[in-house]
Amino acid sequence: MKTLIKIKPKDYKAGDVVKIDFMAMHPMETGMRKNKDTGALIPAEYIDEVKFMFNDTLITKMVIWESLSVNPLMSISFKVPGAGTLKVIAKDNKGQSVESTTQITPKG
Amino acid sequence: MERRSFLKGFGAAAACAMALPHVSSAAEEKKSGGPNEMNFETAVAAITGGKALVASAKVKMEAPEIAENGAVVPVKVSVESPMNAKDYVKAIHILASKNGNVRCANIYLTPANGEAFFGTRVKLGGTQDVVAIAEMSDGSFLTAKQNVKVTIGGCG
Repeated sequence: MKTLIKIKPKDYKAGDVVKIDFMAMHPMETGMRKNKDTGALIPAEYIDEVKFMFNDTLITKMVIWESLSVNPLMSISFKVPGAGTLKVIAKDNKGQSVESTTQITPKG
Repeated sequence: MERRSFLKGFGAAAACAMALPHVSSAAEEKKSGGPNEMNFETAVAAITGGKALVASAKVKMEAPEIAENGAVVPVKVSVESPMNAKDYVKAIHILASKNGNVRCANIYLTPANGEAFFGTRVKLGGTQDVVAIAEMSDGSFLTAKQNVKVTIGGCG
């Protein structure tokens, strides 16, 4: 599972509210689609939990279902308290899990 | 001859009429299902625990009125709130009222978010209301919805 974290805007100060965009490359199968050749149902495979942590403190927890689009984007706000590490942990219904981190470095 | 052709036609029509209910039930079967199937009422009851939903202008939802492709429909929800320890938005729930599983995402926020905002892209099986429910720290539930017309469904 490839992931991408973007902080918008790129330049921010401590105390600013920024947007965190988290994207994961994931098929997000609903379990309702059929394989066109065999007619067999494609089993459901979707991200079901995403946690955003800043310096190991939970900021936001998401419980999500297969209704999110393929390669889902999740965007939240975050009030920058200072420098630190932002960690995003995403887990899918098959137990596959991925941890991605980015540094929060406020300017000024 | 006329009587015979009439009977033939009638027979075919009757066969059609008998076949029709079968066809429609098969179509319904295809529509529903999915591993986490849940209807709108059940999902709302599970979120609110029976408390009343209040439609509020504090909850703002941005979604297109017409989505050409139901597979990728951008949805943004923001809730007016000071987001401090005493008064904040505990959770934002996004529901697609007519999908097999209406639940899309539950976002559990904290005051560290600064603003109550969530943006994502959802799949919509057809034209329907997208509903946002905001759970406030005082235990109330505010809601907003937007009807999205879908030209091509996003499931299948």
